[in-house]
Amino acid sequence: MNEPILRIEGLAKRFGGLEALGGVSLRVERGDFRAIIGPNGAGKSTFFNTLTGLLRPDAGRVIFEGTDVTGEPPHLLARRGVGRTFQITSVFHDLSALQNVQVSLLAHARRSWSVWPKATPLHVERARQMLDLVGLSASADRAAGALSHGDQKRLELAIALAGEPRLLLLDEPTAGMAAQERLESIRLVHRVARELGVSCVFTEHDMAVVFAVATHITVMHQGKVLAEGTPAEVRARREVQQVYLGAAA
Amino acid sequence: MTRLVPAAVLLLGLPFALSDFWLFIAIEVLAFALYAVSFNVLLGYGGMLSFGHAAFFGVGGYAAAILLKRAGLPPMLAFALVPVVALVVSALVALLIGFFSVQRSGIYFAMLTFAFQMLLYTIALKATGITGGDDGMTGLKPPGVLGRPFYYYYYALAIVVPALYVLYRLVSSPFGFTLRALRANPRRVQYIGVNVRAHQLAAFVVSGAFAGLAGGLFALSTGNVFPGWLNWTASATPIVMAVLGGVHTFLGPAVGAAVYVVLEVLISGKTEYWPLAMGVIIVVLVLLMPEGLSGFRRKPA
Repeated sequence: MNEPILRIEGLAKRFGGLEALGGVSLRVERGDFRAIIGPNGAGKSTFFNTLTGLLRPDAGRVIFEGTDVTGEPPHLLARRGVGRTFQITSVFHDLSALQNVQVSLLAHARRSWSVWPKATPLHVERARQMLDLVGLSASADRAAGALSHGDQKRLELAIALAGEPRLLLLDEPTAGMAAQERLESIRLVHRVARELGVSCVFTEHDMAVVFAVATHITVMHQGKVLAEGTPAEVRARREVQQVYLGAAA
Repeated sequence: MTRLVPAAVLLLGLPFALSDFWLFIAIEVLAFALYAVSFNVLLGYGGMLSFGHAAFFGVGGYAAAILLKRAGLPPMLAFALVPVVALVVSALVALLIGFFSVQRSGIYFAMLTFAFQMLLYTIALKATGITGGDDGMTGLKPPGVLGRPFYYYYYALAIVVPALYVLYRLVSSPFGFTLRALRANPRRVQYIGVNVRAHQLAAFVVSGAFAGLAGGLFALSTGNVFPGWLNWTASATPIVMAVLGGVHTFLGPAVGAAVYVVLEVLISGKTEYWPLAMGVIIVVLVLLMPEGLSGFRRKPA
Protein backbone atom coordinates (compact mmCIF):
# COMPACT_ATOMS: atom_id res chain seq x y z
CA MET A 1 0.00 0.00 0.00
CA ASN A 2 2.84 2.27 0.89
CA GLU A 3 4.69 1.70 -2.36
CA PRO A 4 5.38 5.05 -4.06
CA ILE A 5 4.67 5.42 -7.75
CA LEU A 6 8.37 5.80 -8.47
CA ARG A 7 11.31 4.71 -6.39
CA ILE A 8 14.88 5.17 -7.56
CA GLU A 9 17.75 3.64 -5.70
CA GLY A 10 21.39 4.62 -6.19
CA LEU A 11 21.18 5.31 -9.91
CA ALA A 12 24.69 5.76 -11.33
CA LYS A 13 26.06 6.46 -14.78
CA ARG A 14 29.59 7.21 -15.97
CA PHE A 15 30.72 8.50 -19.33
CA GLY A 16 34.37 7.53 -19.51
CA GLY A 17 36.03 9.39 -16.65
CA LEU A 18 33.05 11.60 -15.99
CA GLU A 19 30.67 10.60 -13.27
CA ALA A 20 27.41 11.98 -14.59
CA LEU A 21 25.26 10.34 -11.94
CA GLY A 22 26.79 9.40 -8.63
CA GLY A 23 24.10 7.31 -7.01
CA VAL A 24 20.83 9.18 -7.10
CA SER A 25 17.91 8.01 -4.98
CA LEU A 26 14.45 9.43 -5.17
CA ARG A 27 10.91 8.69 -4.03
CA VAL A 28 7.90 10.08 -5.81
CA GLU A 29 4.51 9.56 -4.19
CA ARG A 30 1.24 9.38 -6.07
CA GLY A 31 -0.06 12.85 -6.87
CA ASP A 32 3.34 14.50 -6.47
CA PHE A 33 4.40 17.28 -8.77
CA ARG A 34 8.11 16.93 -8.39
CA ALA A 35 10.65 19.38 -9.76
CA ILE A 36 14.26 18.46 -10.34
CA ILE A 37 16.48 21.50 -10.42
CA GLY A 38 20.19 22.10 -10.60
CA PRO A 39 22.75 24.08 -12.57
CA ASN A 40 23.79 23.02 -16.07
CA GLY A 41 25.82 19.84 -15.90
CA ALA A 42 24.21 18.77 -12.64
CA GLY A 43 23.11 15.53 -14.29
CA LYS A 44 19.43 16.27 -14.81
CA SER A 45 19.34 15.17 -18.43
CA THR A 46 21.39 12.05 -17.81
CA PHE A 47 19.11 11.26 -14.92
CA PHE A 48 16.08 11.63 -17.14
CA ASN A 49 17.51 9.58 -19.96
CA THR A 50 18.63 6.82 -17.62
CA LEU A 51 15.26 6.81 -15.95
CA THR A 52 13.40 6.48 -19.25
CA GLY A 53 15.37 3.69 -20.83
CA LEU A 54 17.44 5.73 -23.31
CA LEU A 55 20.60 5.07 -21.33
CA ARG A 56 21.43 1.97 -19.34
CA PRO A 57 22.53 2.74 -15.78
CA ASP A 58 25.84 1.35 -14.47
CA ALA A 59 24.26 0.73 -11.11
CA GLY A 60 21.03 1.31 -9.25
CA ARG A 61 17.40 0.45 -9.71
CA VAL A 62 14.29 2.13 -11.05
CA ILE A 63 11.08 0.83 -9.52
CA PHE A 64 7.76 1.87 -10.98
CA GLU A 65 4.69 0.94 -8.96
CA GLY A 66 6.64 -1.76 -7.19
CA THR A 67 8.07 -3.33 -10.36
CA ASP A 68 11.76 -3.16 -11.21
CA VAL A 69 11.90 -1.52 -14.65
CA THR A 70 15.62 -0.72 -14.71
CA GLY A 71 16.95 -0.57 -18.29
CA GLU A 72 13.61 -1.44 -19.83
CA PRO A 73 13.28 -0.09 -23.38
CA PRO A 74 11.13 3.03 -23.85
CA HIS A 75 8.19 1.38 -25.60
CA LEU A 76 7.71 -1.11 -22.75
CA LEU A 77 7.97 1.64 -20.14
CA ALA A 78 5.36 3.59 -22.05
CA ARG A 79 3.03 0.59 -22.09
CA ARG A 80 3.40 0.27 -18.32
CA GLY A 81 2.13 3.80 -17.85
CA VAL A 82 5.18 6.03 -17.92
CA GLY A 83 4.88 8.96 -20.34
CA ARG A 84 7.49 11.52 -21.23
CA THR A 85 8.01 14.74 -23.10
CA PHE A 86 11.25 16.08 -24.51
CA GLN A 87 13.30 19.19 -23.96
CA ILE A 88 13.41 19.73 -27.71
CA THR A 89 9.76 19.66 -28.67
CA SER A 90 8.92 16.36 -30.20
CA VAL A 91 5.80 16.08 -32.34
CA PHE A 92 4.99 14.53 -35.74
CA HIS A 93 5.50 17.54 -37.97
CA ASP A 94 3.71 16.58 -41.14
CA LEU A 95 0.66 15.07 -39.46
CA SER A 96 -2.19 17.27 -38.31
CA ALA A 97 -2.51 18.03 -34.60
CA LEU A 98 -5.47 15.68 -34.43
CA GLN A 99 -3.55 12.89 -36.16
CA ASN A 100 -0.65 13.38 -33.75
CA VAL A 101 -2.95 12.49 -30.89
CA GLN A 102 -4.62 9.71 -32.88
CA VAL A 103 -1.29 7.95 -33.40
CA SER A 104 -0.76 7.96 -29.67
CA LEU A 105 -4.29 6.73 -28.96
CA LEU A 106 -3.84 3.93 -31.49
CA ALA A 107 -0.64 2.86 -29.79
CA HIS A 108 -2.31 2.98 -26.40
CA ALA A 109 -5.17 0.82 -27.70
CA ARG A 110 -2.51 -1.60 -29.06
CA ARG A 111 -3.77 -1.01 -32.59
CA SER A 112 -0.52 0.17 -34.17
CA TRP A 113 -0.28 -3.18 -35.94
CA SER A 114 -3.74 -3.17 -37.33
CA VAL A 115 -3.26 -3.25 -41.12
CA TRP A 116 -6.69 -3.17 -42.72
CA PRO A 117 -9.09 -0.56 -41.28
CA LYS A 118 -8.70 3.07 -42.30
CA ALA A 119 -6.96 4.98 -39.53
CA THR A 120 -8.44 8.45 -40.06
CA PRO A 121 -11.84 7.86 -38.39
CA LEU A 122 -10.40 5.98 -35.41
CA HIS A 123 -10.39 7.54 -31.93
CA VAL A 124 -11.33 10.95 -33.35
CA GLU A 125 -13.66 11.80 -30.49
CA ARG A 126 -11.09 11.04 -27.85
CA ALA A 127 -8.39 12.86 -29.80
CA ARG A 128 -10.55 15.98 -29.89
CA GLN A 129 -11.10 15.72 -26.16
CA MET A 130 -7.36 15.58 -25.59
CA LEU A 131 -6.79 18.63 -27.79
CA ASP A 132 -9.55 20.40 -25.92
CA LEU A 133 -7.87 19.58 -22.64
CA VAL A 134 -4.69 21.39 -23.67
CA GLY A 135 -6.54 24.18 -25.44
CA LEU A 136 -5.73 23.24 -29.02
CA SER A 137 -9.19 22.43 -30.39
CA ALA A 138 -9.04 25.27 -32.87
CA SER A 139 -5.82 23.94 -34.41
CA ALA A 140 -6.92 20.30 -34.77
CA ASP A 141 -6.53 20.17 -38.52
CA ARG A 142 -3.36 22.21 -38.84
CA ALA A 143 -0.06 20.48 -39.51
CA ALA A 144 1.83 20.09 -36.23
CA GLY A 145 4.93 21.62 -37.80
CA ALA A 146 3.01 24.82 -38.55
CA LEU A 147 2.03 25.40 -34.92
CA SER A 148 3.84 27.90 -32.72
CA HIS A 149 6.49 26.60 -30.36
CA GLY A 150 4.17 26.94 -27.37
CA ASP A 151 1.37 25.12 -29.16
CA GLN A 152 3.73 22.32 -30.14
CA LYS A 153 4.58 21.92 -26.47
CA ARG A 154 0.87 21.69 -25.69
CA LEU A 155 0.45 19.16 -28.46
CA GLU A 156 3.28 17.08 -27.13
CA LEU A 157 1.57 17.11 -23.77
CA ALA A 158 -1.62 15.86 -25.40
CA ILE A 159 0.32 13.10 -27.19
CA ALA A 160 1.90 12.00 -23.92
CA LEU A 161 -1.38 12.14 -21.99
CA ALA A 162 -3.29 10.23 -24.67
CA GLY A 163 -1.43 7.15 -23.48
CA GLU A 164 -3.09 7.56 -20.06
CA PRO A 165 0.19 7.47 -18.15
CA ARG A 166 0.10 7.34 -14.37
CA LEU A 167 3.52 8.95 -14.25
CA LEU A 168 4.59 11.71 -16.61
CA LEU A 169 8.21 12.77 -16.96
CA LEU A 170 8.72 16.20 -18.48
CA ASP A 171 12.19 17.28 -19.53
CA GLU A 172 12.25 21.09 -19.31
CA PRO A 173 8.63 21.60 -20.30
CA THR A 174 9.11 25.35 -20.57
CA ALA A 175 12.37 25.38 -22.54
CA GLY A 176 12.57 28.09 -25.16
CA MET A 177 9.65 30.13 -23.86
CA ALA A 178 9.34 33.71 -22.67
CA ALA A 179 8.96 34.19 -18.91
CA GLN A 180 5.21 34.82 -18.90
CA GLU A 181 4.53 31.95 -21.30
CA ARG A 182 6.50 29.63 -19.03
CA LEU A 183 4.22 30.17 -16.08
CA GLU A 184 1.12 29.68 -18.19
CA SER A 185 2.60 26.55 -19.68
CA ILE A 186 3.55 24.88 -16.40
CA ARG A 187 0.20 25.81 -14.89
CA LEU A 188 -1.49 24.06 -17.80
CA VAL A 189 0.57 20.93 -17.16
CA HIS A 190 -0.20 21.17 -13.49
CA ARG A 191 -3.94 21.62 -13.98
CA VAL A 192 -4.26 18.82 -16.52
CA ALA A 193 -2.15 16.43 -14.47
CA ARG A 194 -4.35 17.11 -11.43
CA GLU A 195 -7.47 16.59 -13.48
CA LEU A 196 -6.28 13.26 -14.83
CA GLY A 197 -4.61 12.13 -11.62
CA VAL A 198 -1.15 11.88 -13.20
CA SER A 199 1.94 12.16 -11.02
CA CYS A 200 4.68 14.30 -12.58
CA VAL A 201 8.41 14.71 -12.44
CA PHE A 202 9.88 17.63 -14.35
CA THR A 203 13.23 19.32 -14.76
CA GLU A 204 13.31 23.09 -14.82
CA HIS A 205 15.67 26.06 -14.81
CA ASP A 206 13.29 28.83 -13.95
CA MET A 207 12.77 29.16 -10.18
CA ALA A 208 9.56 31.13 -10.58
CA VAL A 209 8.12 28.20 -12.52
CA VAL A 210 9.31 25.67 -9.97
CA PHE A 211 7.98 27.47 -6.94
CA ALA A 212 4.67 28.16 -8.65
CA VAL A 213 3.63 24.53 -8.94
CA ALA A 214 6.03 22.00 -7.42
CA THR A 215 4.89 19.98 -4.42
CA HIS A 216 8.43 18.69 -3.90
CA ILE A 217 11.82 19.76 -5.16
CA THR A 218 14.98 17.76 -5.65
CA VAL A 219 18.15 19.77 -6.08
CA MET A 220 20.91 18.06 -8.05
CA HIS A 221 24.52 19.09 -8.07
CA GLN A 222 27.43 17.31 -9.75
CA GLY A 223 25.48 14.14 -10.29
CA LYS A 224 24.19 13.85 -6.76
CA VAL A 225 21.13 14.89 -4.79
CA LEU A 226 22.11 17.95 -2.82
CA ALA A 227 18.82 18.64 -1.11
CA GLU A 228 15.26 17.56 -1.17
CA GLY A 229 11.95 18.62 0.32
CA THR A 230 8.97 20.89 -0.02
CA PRO A 231 9.57 24.24 -1.72
CA ALA A 232 9.74 25.98 1.65
CA GLU A 233 12.26 23.49 3.02
CA VAL A 234 14.46 23.68 -0.04
CA ARG A 235 14.39 27.45 -0.08
CA ALA A 236 15.63 27.49 3.49
CA ARG A 237 18.65 25.28 2.89
CA ARG A 238 21.88 27.25 2.89
CA GLU A 239 23.88 24.95 0.57
CA VAL A 240 21.12 25.16 -2.00
CA GLN A 241 21.26 28.91 -1.91
CA GLN A 242 25.00 28.76 -2.41
CA VAL A 243 25.09 26.47 -5.46
CA TYR A 244 21.95 27.36 -7.18
CA LEU A 245 19.64 29.96 -5.78
CA GLY A 246 22.58 32.18 -5.04
CA ALA A 247 21.91 34.67 -7.77
CA ALA A 248 18.20 34.79 -7.08
CA ALA A 249 18.32 34.90 -3.29
CA MET B 1 -14.86 6.73 -57.21
CA THR B 2 -15.69 8.57 -60.41
CA ARG B 3 -12.03 8.51 -61.35
CA LEU B 4 -11.91 4.75 -61.00
CA VAL B 5 -14.17 4.07 -63.97
CA PRO B 6 -12.09 5.82 -66.63
CA ALA B 7 -8.94 4.33 -65.10
CA ALA B 8 -10.45 0.84 -65.28
CA VAL B 9 -11.61 1.35 -68.86
CA LEU B 10 -8.16 2.57 -69.84
CA LEU B 11 -6.33 -0.30 -68.16
CA LEU B 12 -8.71 -2.97 -69.44
CA GLY B 13 -8.91 -1.55 -72.96
CA LEU B 14 -5.19 -1.06 -73.48
CA PRO B 15 -4.55 -4.46 -75.14
CA PHE B 16 -7.06 -3.59 -77.85
CA ALA B 17 -5.31 -0.32 -78.63
CA LEU B 18 -1.63 -1.24 -78.40
CA SER B 19 0.71 -3.28 -80.56
CA ASP B 20 2.40 -6.31 -79.04
CA PHE B 21 5.56 -4.27 -78.60
CA TRP B 22 3.84 -1.51 -76.63
CA LEU B 23 1.83 -4.06 -74.73
CA PHE B 24 5.09 -5.62 -73.66
CA ILE B 25 6.15 -2.17 -72.46
CA ALA B 26 2.81 -1.78 -70.64
CA ILE B 27 3.53 -5.01 -68.74
CA GLU B 28 6.93 -3.63 -67.81
CA VAL B 29 5.21 -0.47 -66.55
CA LEU B 30 2.85 -2.56 -64.40
CA ALA B 31 5.71 -4.52 -62.85
CA PHE B 32 7.81 -1.44 -62.18
CA ALA B 33 4.81 0.49 -60.87
CA LEU B 34 4.35 -2.20 -58.22
CA TYR B 35 8.10 -2.21 -57.57
CA ALA B 36 8.28 1.58 -57.15
CA VAL B 37 5.17 1.81 -54.97
CA SER B 38 6.36 -0.99 -52.69
CA PHE B 39 9.76 0.71 -52.46
CA ASN B 40 8.03 3.96 -51.54
CA VAL B 41 6.21 2.34 -48.62
CA LEU B 42 9.65 2.49 -47.04
CA LEU B 43 10.87 5.83 -48.39
CA GLY B 44 7.77 7.98 -48.57
CA TYR B 45 5.89 6.59 -45.59
CA GLY B 46 8.60 5.17 -43.36
CA GLY B 47 11.38 7.63 -44.18
CA MET B 48 13.77 4.74 -44.80
CA LEU B 49 15.95 5.01 -47.90
CA SER B 50 16.81 1.49 -48.99
CA PHE B 51 19.73 1.45 -51.37
CA GLY B 52 19.46 -2.25 -51.99
CA HIS B 53 15.92 -2.77 -53.07
CA ALA B 54 17.00 -4.49 -56.26
CA ALA B 55 17.80 -7.41 -53.97
CA PHE B 56 14.10 -8.17 -53.63
CA PHE B 57 13.12 -7.50 -57.22
CA GLY B 58 16.03 -9.72 -58.26
CA VAL B 59 15.28 -12.46 -55.75
CA GLY B 60 11.66 -12.49 -56.95
CA GLY B 61 12.89 -12.82 -60.53
CA TYR B 62 15.32 -15.61 -59.71
CA ALA B 63 12.74 -17.39 -57.56
CA ALA B 64 10.38 -17.42 -60.53
CA ALA B 65 13.11 -18.61 -62.90
CA ILE B 66 14.35 -21.37 -60.62
CA LEU B 67 10.82 -22.56 -60.00
CA LEU B 68 10.14 -22.80 -63.71
CA LYS B 69 13.47 -24.23 -64.81
CA ARG B 70 14.84 -26.28 -61.97
CA ALA B 71 12.03 -27.40 -59.69
CA GLY B 72 10.86 -30.15 -62.06
CA LEU B 73 7.21 -29.26 -61.63
CA PRO B 74 4.61 -29.42 -64.41
CA PRO B 75 4.82 -26.06 -66.24
CA MET B 76 1.26 -25.02 -65.38
CA LEU B 77 1.74 -25.71 -61.68
CA ALA B 78 5.13 -24.02 -61.59
CA PHE B 79 3.66 -21.00 -63.30
CA ALA B 80 0.72 -20.83 -60.92
CA LEU B 81 3.07 -20.92 -57.97
CA VAL B 82 5.28 -18.07 -59.21
CA PRO B 83 3.47 -15.17 -57.46
CA VAL B 84 3.25 -17.00 -54.15
CA VAL B 85 6.84 -18.21 -54.24
CA ALA B 86 8.20 -14.82 -55.37
CA LEU B 87 6.29 -13.13 -52.58
CA VAL B 88 7.27 -15.58 -49.87
CA VAL B 89 10.93 -15.99 -50.81
CA SER B 90 11.47 -12.22 -51.06
CA ALA B 91 9.66 -11.75 -47.76
CA LEU B 92 12.04 -14.20 -46.09
CA VAL B 93 15.08 -12.54 -47.64
CA ALA B 94 13.70 -9.16 -46.54
CA LEU B 95 13.21 -10.48 -43.04
CA LEU B 96 16.86 -11.47 -42.88
CA ILE B 97 18.26 -8.30 -44.49
CA GLY B 98 15.80 -6.09 -42.65
CA PHE B 99 16.57 -7.60 -39.27
CA PHE B 100 20.12 -6.31 -39.49
CA SER B 101 19.48 -3.16 -41.49
CA VAL B 102 16.84 -1.57 -39.24
CA GLN B 103 19.30 -1.64 -36.36
CA ARG B 104 20.70 1.51 -37.96
CA SER B 105 19.08 4.50 -39.57
CA GLY B 106 19.79 7.04 -42.28
CA ILE B 107 22.88 6.52 -44.40
CA TYR B 108 23.96 3.51 -42.33
CA PHE B 109 20.67 1.79 -43.00
CA ALA B 110 21.14 2.54 -46.71
CA MET B 111 24.68 1.12 -46.63
CA LEU B 112 23.55 -2.09 -44.95
CA THR B 113 20.84 -2.70 -47.53
CA PHE B 114 23.40 -1.93 -50.22
CA ALA B 115 25.89 -4.42 -48.80
CA PHE B 116 23.36 -7.24 -48.54
CA GLN B 117 22.30 -6.66 -52.11
CA MET B 118 25.90 -6.92 -53.32
CA LEU B 119 26.16 -10.17 -51.41
CA LEU B 120 23.18 -11.53 -53.32
CA TYR B 121 24.64 -10.20 -56.57
CA THR B 122 27.81 -12.19 -55.91
CA ILE B 123 25.82 -15.31 -55.14
CA ALA B 124 23.89 -14.91 -58.40
CA LEU B 125 27.19 -14.60 -60.25
CA LYS B 126 28.98 -17.48 -58.57
CA ALA B 127 26.29 -20.10 -57.90
CA THR B 128 26.38 -21.02 -61.57
CA GLY B 129 24.65 -24.37 -61.11
CA ILE B 130 21.51 -22.74 -59.82
CA THR B 131 21.48 -19.23 -61.22
CA GLY B 132 23.29 -19.69 -64.51
CA GLY B 133 26.03 -17.34 -63.31
CA ASP B 134 27.02 -14.57 -65.66
CA ASP B 135 24.63 -15.77 -68.36
CA GLY B 136 21.61 -15.55 -66.11
CA MET B 137 18.58 -17.69 -66.92
CA THR B 138 16.76 -17.39 -70.20
CA GLY B 139 13.86 -18.93 -72.05
CA LEU B 140 11.33 -18.53 -69.28
CA LYS B 141 7.89 -18.68 -70.74
CA PRO B 142 4.43 -18.70 -69.25
CA PRO B 143 2.43 -21.73 -70.46
CA GLY B 144 -0.18 -21.62 -73.21
CA VAL B 145 -1.76 -18.38 -74.39
CA LEU B 146 -0.29 -16.54 -71.39
CA GLY B 147 2.94 -16.48 -73.36
CA ARG B 148 1.34 -13.85 -75.58
CA PRO B 149 1.49 -10.23 -74.37
CA PHE B 150 -2.26 -9.78 -74.90
CA TYR B 151 -3.11 -12.34 -72.23
CA TYR B 152 -0.08 -11.88 -70.04
CA TYR B 153 -1.00 -8.22 -69.73
CA TYR B 154 -4.34 -9.15 -68.14
CA TYR B 155 -2.61 -11.65 -65.92
CA ALA B 156 -0.16 -8.95 -64.75
CA LEU B 157 -3.03 -6.53 -64.24
CA ALA B 158 -4.88 -9.10 -62.13
CA ILE B 159 -1.86 -9.32 -59.86
CA VAL B 160 -0.65 -5.73 -59.76
CA VAL B 161 -3.99 -4.01 -59.09
CA PRO B 162 -4.92 -6.14 -56.05
CA ALA B 163 -1.34 -5.89 -54.80
CA LEU B 164 -1.47 -2.09 -55.02
CA TYR B 165 -4.81 -2.14 -53.23
CA VAL B 166 -3.34 -4.19 -50.39
CA LEU B 167 -0.45 -1.71 -50.09
CA TYR B 168 -2.89 1.19 -50.16
CA ARG B 169 -4.90 -0.28 -47.31
CA LEU B 170 -1.69 -0.88 -45.42
CA VAL B 171 -0.46 2.70 -45.64
CA SER B 172 -3.92 4.08 -44.75
CA SER B 173 -4.27 1.76 -41.75
CA PRO B 174 -3.17 2.39 -38.17
CA PHE B 175 0.01 0.54 -39.13
CA GLY B 176 0.68 3.01 -41.94
CA PHE B 177 -0.27 5.95 -39.77
CA THR B 178 2.23 4.87 -37.17
CA LEU B 179 4.81 4.40 -39.91
CA ARG B 180 4.37 8.03 -40.98
CA ALA B 181 4.68 9.20 -37.40
CA LEU B 182 7.83 7.16 -37.18
CA ARG B 183 9.29 8.88 -40.22
CA ALA B 184 8.66 12.23 -38.59
CA ASN B 185 9.97 11.34 -35.17
CA PRO B 186 11.12 7.83 -34.21
CA ARG B 187 12.02 8.79 -30.65
CA ARG B 188 8.60 10.24 -29.92
CA VAL B 189 7.00 7.06 -31.31
CA GLN B 190 8.96 4.90 -28.86
CA TYR B 191 7.50 6.83 -25.96
CA ILE B 192 3.92 6.25 -26.98
CA GLY B 193 4.59 2.54 -26.67
CA VAL B 194 5.56 1.48 -30.19
CA ASN B 195 8.43 -0.91 -30.81
CA VAL B 196 10.15 1.13 -33.49
CA ARG B 197 12.48 -1.53 -34.88
CA ALA B 198 9.75 -4.13 -35.10
CA HIS B 199 7.54 -1.67 -36.93
CA GLN B 200 10.30 -0.75 -39.35
CA LEU B 201 11.13 -4.41 -39.92
CA ALA B 202 7.50 -5.23 -40.72
CA ALA B 203 7.37 -2.40 -43.25
CA PHE B 204 10.65 -3.61 -44.73
CA VAL B 205 9.35 -7.16 -45.15
CA VAL B 206 6.12 -6.02 -46.81
CA SER B 207 8.03 -3.70 -49.10
CA GLY B 208 10.53 -6.41 -50.03
CA ALA B 209 7.83 -9.02 -50.58
CA PHE B 210 5.90 -6.89 -53.06
CA ALA B 211 9.09 -5.83 -54.83
CA GLY B 212 9.81 -9.55 -55.22
CA LEU B 213 6.35 -10.16 -56.63
CA ALA B 214 7.03 -7.43 -59.20
CA GLY B 215 10.36 -9.09 -60.05
CA GLY B 216 8.71 -12.49 -60.59
CA LEU B 217 6.08 -10.92 -62.81
CA PHE B 218 8.66 -9.09 -64.89
CA ALA B 219 10.92 -12.14 -65.26
CA LEU B 220 8.15 -14.10 -66.93
CA SER B 221 7.37 -11.20 -69.23
CA THR B 222 10.90 -10.70 -70.54
CA GLY B 223 11.71 -14.41 -70.27
CA ASN B 224 15.08 -13.75 -68.62
CA VAL B 225 16.78 -12.91 -65.37
CA PHE B 226 20.35 -11.67 -65.18
CA PRO B 227 22.73 -11.00 -62.29
CA GLY B 228 22.54 -7.34 -63.32
CA TRP B 229 19.07 -7.28 -61.77
CA LEU B 230 20.83 -7.56 -58.43
CA ASN B 231 23.64 -5.12 -59.15
CA TRP B 232 23.72 -1.90 -57.20
CA THR B 233 22.92 0.27 -60.21
CA ALA B 234 19.56 -1.54 -60.39
CA SER B 235 18.73 -0.22 -56.93
CA ALA B 236 18.74 3.32 -58.26
CA THR B 237 15.78 2.57 -60.53
CA PRO B 238 13.00 2.52 -57.89
CA ILE B 239 14.55 5.55 -56.19
CA VAL B 240 14.46 7.57 -59.42
CA MET B 241 10.93 6.39 -60.23
CA ALA B 242 9.63 7.27 -56.77
CA VAL B 243 11.26 10.68 -56.66
CA LEU B 244 10.25 11.43 -60.24
CA GLY B 245 6.63 10.56 -59.57
CA GLY B 246 6.49 12.00 -56.05
CA VAL B 247 7.13 10.21 -52.78
CA HIS B 248 4.29 11.95 -50.96
CA THR B 249 1.42 10.40 -52.85
CA PHE B 250 0.55 6.75 -52.92
CA LEU B 251 0.46 6.35 -56.71
CA GLY B 252 3.15 8.95 -57.45
CA PRO B 253 5.88 6.31 -57.81
CA ALA B 254 3.64 4.36 -60.22
CA VAL B 255 3.35 7.47 -62.38
CA GLY B 256 7.12 7.86 -62.10
CA ALA B 257 7.58 4.25 -63.21
CA ALA B 258 5.37 4.74 -66.27
CA VAL B 259 7.16 7.93 -67.31
CA TYR B 260 10.58 6.41 -66.73
CA VAL B 261 9.90 3.22 -68.68
CA VAL B 262 8.24 4.94 -71.61
CA LEU B 263 10.91 7.67 -71.83
CA GLU B 264 13.61 5.02 -71.78
CA VAL B 265 11.96 3.17 -74.67
CA LEU B 266 11.42 6.32 -76.71
CA ILE B 267 14.87 7.74 -76.21
CA SER B 268 16.91 4.55 -76.38
CA GLY B 269 15.35 3.94 -79.79
CA LYS B 270 16.77 7.25 -81.04
CA THR B 271 20.24 7.51 -79.59
CA GLU B 272 22.85 5.38 -77.90
CA TYR B 273 23.42 8.29 -75.51
CA TRP B 274 19.98 7.75 -74.00
CA PRO B 275 21.20 7.63 -70.39
CA LEU B 276 22.49 11.17 -70.90
CA ALA B 277 19.14 12.34 -72.23
CA MET B 278 17.32 10.55 -69.38
CA GLY B 279 19.60 12.23 -66.89
CA VAL B 280 18.90 15.68 -68.29
CA ILE B 281 15.14 15.09 -68.34
CA ILE B 282 15.12 13.81 -64.76
CA VAL B 283 17.20 16.74 -63.51
CA VAL B 284 14.82 19.20 -65.17
CA LEU B 285 11.70 17.46 -63.85
CA VAL B 286 13.04 17.24 -60.30
CA LEU B 287 14.07 20.90 -60.34
CA LEU B 288 10.74 22.06 -61.73
CA MET B 289 8.63 19.75 -59.59
CA PRO B 290 10.41 18.93 -56.34
CA GLU B 291 7.33 17.09 -55.09
CA GLY B 292 7.33 14.92 -58.21
CA LEU B 293 4.96 14.69 -61.15
CA SER B 294 2.05 13.97 -58.84
CA GLY B 295 3.17 16.69 -56.45
CA PHE B 296 0.36 19.12 -57.14
CA ARG B 297 -1.93 16.84 -55.22
CA ARG B 298 0.04 17.40 -52.03
CA LYS B 299 0.66 14.94 -49.25
CA PRO B 300 -0.94 11.57 -48.61
CA ALA B 301 -4.25 11.94 -46.82
